Amino acid sequence: MADMMKGNVAIAEAAIRAGARLYAGYPITPSTEIMEYMSWRMAEVDGVFVQAESEIAGINMIIGGAACGVRAITASSGPGISLKQEGMTTLSDEELPAVVVNMVRYGNGIGTLYSAQCDYHRETRGGGNGDYRCIVLCPSSIQEATELMVLAFDLAEKYRMVSVFMSEGALGQMMEPCELPPMRDLPRYPWGFDGKYTNKKIGIFDRNSRDEAVLLNEKYNRVKENEQRWEANSIEDADYVLVAYGLPGRASIGAAKELRAEGYKVGVIRVITAWPFPEKAFEEVNPNVKGFITIEANATGQLIDDVALTALRTIENKVQCYCRPHVYGIPSVKAIKQDFIDVINGNMKEVY
Amino acid sequence: MKECIFAGFGGQGVLTVGLLISQMATFKDYHATWIPQYGSAMRGGTANCTVKFGEEYIYNPSQEEPDILLAMNNPSLVKFLPLVKSGGTIVVNSDLVDSKLNTRKDINLVEVPCMTLAKEIDHPRGANVIMAGAIVKLSGDFTEKEAIDGMNDMFRKKGKEKFQELNTKALSTGYNYI
Amino acid sequence: MSKAKKVPYLVDRPMSFCPGCGHGIVIRLVAECLEELEQSDNIVFPIGVGCSSLLGGGVEADRLHCSHGRAGAVATAIKRCNPNNVVISYQGDGDAYSIGIGETTSAAYRNEKFTTIIINNTNYGMTGGQMSNTTLPNQKTNTSVYGRDCSVTGNPLRFPELAADQFNVGYAARGSVHDVANIRKTKSYIKKALEMQLSGAGYSVVEVLSPCPTNWKMEPLEAMKHISEHVTTYFPLGEFVEKEEK
Repeated sequence: MADMMKGNVAIAEAAIRAGARLYAGYPITPSTEIMEYMSWRMAEVDGVFVQAESEIAGINMIIGGAACGVRAITASSGPGISLKQEGMTTLSDEELPAVVVNMVRYGNGIGTLYSAQCDYHRETRGGGNGDYRCIVLCPSSIQEATELMVLAFDLAEKYRMVSVFMSEGALGQMMEPCELPPMRDLPRYPWGFDGKYTNKKIGIFDRNSRDEAVLLNEKYNRVKENEQRWEANSIEDADYVLVAYGLPGRASIGAAKELRAEGYKVGVIRVITAWPFPEKAFEEVNPNVKGFITIEANATGQLIDDVALTALRTIENKVQCYCRPHVYGIPSVKAIKQDFIDVINGNMKEVY
Repeated sequence: MKECIFAGFGGQGVLTVGLLISQMATFKDYHATWIPQYGSAMRGGTANCTVKFGEEYIYNPSQEEPDILLAMNNPSLVKFLPLVKSGGTIVVNSDLVDSKLNTRKDINLVEVPCMTLAKEIDHPRGANVIMAGAIVKLSGDFTEKEAIDGMNDMFRKKGKEKFQELNTKALSTGYNYI
Repeated sequence: MSKAKKVPYLVDRPMSFCPGCGHGIVIRLVAECLEELEQSDNIVFPIGVGCSSLLGGGVEADRLHCSHGRAGAVATAIKRCNPNNVVISYQGDGDAYSIGIGETTSAAYRNEKFTTIIINNTNYGMTGGQMSNTTLPNQKTNTSVYGRDCSVTGNPLRFPELAADQFNVGYAARGSVHDVANIRKTKSYIKKALEMQLSGAGYSVVEVLSPCPTNWKMEPLEAMKHISEHVTTYFPLGEFVEKEEK
């Protein structure tokens, strides 16, 4: 029997167990408990904790630690992650692995404290300057969050990329029973700074951006090929498929189950890796599917773009793509069922 | 699956009651979720949390339609009254809550003078645990022993076992009041 | 008879600074100090953006090009993760005092145990000579074409003094490389700063006044003279704090 555990605490402890030994950041609701936990927990595992003067300083400390080969993590929310983009593009450029947690809160500008999914576009496209991608992992439960945290570190290390742990405010604040992953005692990455210049570096004027671009694409293609993750339910014969992630993804599975029981052929794809987007899931969908419906917690609909693009590529027939952005919070099972009813009754216009 | 909302002033221990019930549920190997209202919304004195538990996986942990509402003060009753499922139960702290504020006929309103009871058992801070006992009985999901074991397990893990005797008494008081 | 010293291996390769620039002298001094302290094989350079970033093309050592102004934060983490390495953040006045004032000040405020070397040439060199936080009153730059008007821009910032007065730092000094005597003195400051770091007693910063003939639109010798006659009147040379080593 597992004990009730708060999301942010479970996320922080899972990171420690996954091998995180540097935390640097700045508090922001609703991610702050992660930092508070790290402030004392890091010392217990001989790690480094720095309360940075700003979000920007925090992510730059992550760069410093990662450059030394230390598994590094920072956490923030919407506006804080905006400030971190500078560091995330630098990490990507230097091919330094790190984990950045975004406990998303709703809104533009400083936003609000509501739980939301409004940062999908930014996280999946790489929000800083240049041309890079981050691996984006989206948990739908606290148990899954702890598992994805371990994966976040492993994928960051494997591909020398930034893993963005894109959750929602509510997941950090809620409690569920949860079994934590085992403690790992990992050595530092072998290529970090040691002061002896053991690992040579190409000087800034000797870099060849064209060659680097080829390698970058090869790497991203490997990630796309190997690291797509999703949970699918009853999509092989579905007339309609709900697509969602995180807490709305979880609620969508509940809604689809109830709709099935009521006789509707509804399936669900719950996206776990928002990047690489789980295109392979769509290859398993009924080729005669009538529509995809994204259930999102944002204002304008963002996931819908990836769904429509993927549908275009994987489903031979033209398929309608609908989107119901619930703005913020976790849409209720009842509300999602109503979204579906709106679609089949012609009360929701397709986006694509 | 059961949904409960626990609401009251900050300091009345409603988040703890919610946690107690959810922990009792996990003690029984049920699925359980606990979700608070958080952030700036929690400033200014009111607090609430939603707990769901049951044998089935909980697809949506957030507030929908509670089977049980605990209202420890008047604003909580007024605020959450419309959400309660038809046929549901509202437990009010009758030492503070004016039951005439209830306008619904399709729910079962239960008055528990938890503050008075707490004084009687000489555990003035145990009013919330008394309410937990009452809710355990009303929900019908746990025996008195399961509830006590679940609660004591939780407090023990939090290093608060020194209140075990008092809390056990409070929980039984609430349970047997119903 | 004076003897030519061998250039330290660490920096013995071409760097692309302008003729008459002071960066090369300071880099050589840093490398000599590291060699004398037997730390050439124990050094990490977080490097700023601007002319200071040219160090990255010439130094054979662990180094990281930081985002503009962020070297203070990057160095903080490097030193905390690798406390036995000597960590020197190498930055210019624009990087450390304008866009990076938060990171620079906060590192000093926390008394991080690394060393900051800041080249102060009273303008943004790399972008072609704009006003910086250390541009002298009335100095003409590409963004203060009539001369810096301190009534609207504020006064030039004196960071080592700030660090010495307000924070519990280990060592803070300002040197200059406009003549041989000052080059020697500056070297002694850099060495003391590194010794302070090795002792673990606290943050150390050395600002170095450095000529920028290209953007000052002066001949190199004229630029040296400008430092001694004008720049040093606003930016006094010397040591502002030297804590007891641990």
